[in-house]
Amino acid sequence: MSQPLVPDLFATCKVLTGAILWVVQQILLALGAVIPPLKDLGNWLASDPVVSAVTWLVVMTVMLLWAVLINLLTMMWVERKFYSRLQDRYGIMVSIWSLPIWPFNRKDRPTHKGWGYLQNVADGMKLLQKENLTPRGADSAMFHMAPVLIASSTLMIFVALPWSSGFVVAKPDLSLLFILAAFSIAPFGILIAGWSANNKYTLVGGMRAAAQLMAYEIPLILCVIALVFTTGSLDVYEIVAQQERTLVTLGPLAIPAWNLFGPQALGAVVFAVAMMAEMERIPFDIPEAEAELVEGWTTEYSGMRFGLLFGFKWLRMIAGAGLISILYLGGWTGPVFTVVQVAGIPVPIIPEEVWFMLRVYLLSVVFIWISWSVPRIRIDQILQLGWKRLIPLSLLAILLAAGASLVGW
Amino acid sequence: MALESYGPIAIFAILALVFPALTFFLTRLFRPDHPTPLKDLVYECGELPEGEAQIQFHFQYYMFALIFLVFDVAAIFLLLWAFAWGDLSGSSGVAKYSIFLFLAIMFVATQYALKKEEVIHL
Repeated sequence: MSQPLVPDLFATCKVLTGAILWVVQQILLALGAVIPPLKDLGNWLASDPVVSAVTWLVVMTVMLLWAVLINLLTMMWVERKFYSRLQDRYGIMVSIWSLPIWPFNRKDRPTHKGWGYLQNVADGMKLLQKENLTPRGADSAMFHMAPVLIASSTLMIFVALPWSSGFVVAKPDLSLLFILAAFSIAPFGILIAGWSANNKYTLVGGMRAAAQLMAYEIPLILCVIALVFTTGSLDVYEIVAQQERTLVTLGPLAIPAWNLFGPQALGAVVFAVAMMAEMERIPFDIPEAEAELVEGWTTEYSGMRFGLLFGFKWLRMIAGAGLISILYLGGWTGPVFTVVQVAGIPVPIIPEEVWFMLRVYLLSVVFIWISWSVPRIRIDQILQLGWKRLIPLSLLAILLAAGASLVGW
Repeated sequence: MALESYGPIAIFAILALVFPALTFFLTRLFRPDHPTPLKDLVYECGELPEGEAQIQFHFQYYMFALIFLVFDVAAIFLLLWAFAWGDLSGSSGVAKYSIFLFLAIMFVATQYALKKEEVIHL
């Protein structure tokens, strides 16, 4: 079985922080020869409680930057490239040679025949310089609070969502419940945003978000309940560890005991559909149906506020795909082919992080594919779908899971 | 024990709250700020906005909201029940199976209630 690249994020960051604080301490001690109080400050900075406290901040910053700066931008790029290909065009093609700074501003290189990875960065820079408008008659406090609520609740998912058995900030016992709770705050923020902007489009968008929430939240939690029959735990590590064994061996192939293969298959499908509604991907993006409602509940937001609201949808997609892979697709488990010894430390050639990211990105590509292939569902249809299809199906999944655990499957 | 596993979460919550707030405040350094009466109008496809939007909205999902509430509370029971499934024994197994009766009643009642709210438009 595969090993994590980062066995313990806290320990890894502590080595780094300790080294940096040690350097600071040495500098302060050297200065302390001239200014004596700096000596005590240096010793205090290098003491263990201070190093631990600073390490926690470093761990959280690493997780934030990893999620927002690296994965969010990559996922946006993947989506933009992939749906352009589905529409038979190239999509974004700005290359690194279009940067107006020194090593890149070469006249002999084509500026628009690249991969386009920097396009999202450029869009972010543009949004950074846009004016923030608050419409007249808007409920100003609510209007300013709603994006903070949505963005921070989305970030809260990543405190408990592990990227491997070691790459995680905190390990609460009920991490699955915590992730789902953090997920479900955002629709409330959408409702606030829709109401407070004093715009008809945002109002309708917010109300639709509330209606949609009612349609998919129940199947989502019912599927988790069905899963608990099999796992008996709400701890994502426990759930992944149970999927690590081999189900059957077909010749050279060893089929792993993922929750998808077994009585949970129906629950997995319902969970994935409900999760798509949770992340407001296109068949379920009626709160911001841009064909009917201009831009839905984000109509009145501008500048970086719109940027965060818009960009964090991809963050929710990453989190949703991660959750599905943890619950049903074996999380970060996978075979390791060779272990390379780097200075005495065994480094797995395909670490757990890579297996997890592979699942997350493949699942996201599937979601993007579905999004750009099917038409948007109507508001009455989502209630029909949620209440008359998904809820009976998820109740059936509970029955199946209970029956399966009775016969000891 | 609880502090050990949930303390980092509390700190992260503060950090997560600070991150978007700081983003909004820091963009002040880069963005212009010249509100004009015309800019501050709400967007209504170029027309002058007609009346207020914060009105008494015809909330058509009242029925759905009620059923949602029932299911939401029931989901907590079901979660506890599923969590303790392995430990629920007893000779008769009443505790294990009686909740299926509850589920069946709830399901039938839901489907009946939804029949009354067939047509929705928003």
